Amino acid sequence: MAVRVENKNNLTVCHVDGEININSSPDIKKAFDKLISKKVPKIVINLSRVTYVDSSGLATLVEILKNMRVYGGRMRLTNLSSKIKSLFEITKLEKLFEIMAEEADAIATFN
Amino acid sequence: MLKLDRLGFLKRLRDRSKKIQINIPSENKYIKKVSARILSSLASHRISDEKAFDVKLCVEEAVRNAIVHGNHAERARTVKTIYWIKDERITIEVEDEGSGFDHNLLPDPTDTNYIMRNSGRGVYLIKKLMDEVEFNTSGNKITMVKKIK
Repeated sequence: MAVRVENKNNLTVCHVDGEININSSPDIKKAFDKLISKKVPKIVINLSRVTYVDSSGLATLVEILKNMRVYGGRMRLTNLSSKIKSLFEITKLEKLFEIMAEEADAIATFN
Repeated sequence: MLKLDRLGFLKRLRDRSKKIQINIPSENKYIKKVSARILSSLASHRISDEKAFDVKLCVEEAVRNAIVHGNHAERARTVKTIYWIKDERITIEVEDEGSGFDHNLLPDPTDTNYIMRNSGRGVYLIKKLMDEVEFNTSGNKITMVKKIK
């Protein structure tokens, strides 16, 4: 698992690689805690290289979202595989998260 | 020769329906060992990627619950997984040494009061992704069935 952070059009874009599961969740949380401590206002998380998410991974993403909301930050998830997107649908988390098909669209419309 | 091949085929069929048991200590690092073994058994059944994902997820959720909630992560306690493949279905039992729980009492994680919680989606996902799910009376063993075709 790895999280690569870059700036694009004054936005923070994070690329996550591998599985978001019980083993990788602490490291993912740590990577996002750094951004949250700086109160980064908008984060796009590109999940195109994420092959698997378990309930711990979903919980970690919920926690990141909650922590961002505390200071009014916003997060968008993009490039989910159909299987991972279905997990968000089954758990109704799709209602909580802003989920977009493509990173470029998420960046272009993130006002 | 043909007869021998046929016998070999029948033996392979019989082996496939054999029950396989995996015992692990109650540590999260062993979860992957269980799911990897089960997925390797499914590989020769040409299971779709989607169904393989579901099996992996449900096995890992069940084993993790057994480790964390059932055995309270006490290494000396064992999580026992037994699985078998028969009639194009895989049946997986995961049992811990705890006192069990009542799955009916778990809150619905999609309810607006619970949706922001950081936990409580594992059993819900298992119920949604598997074709059949059953708990024993004491609640320390889950049996899950997935059609693989």
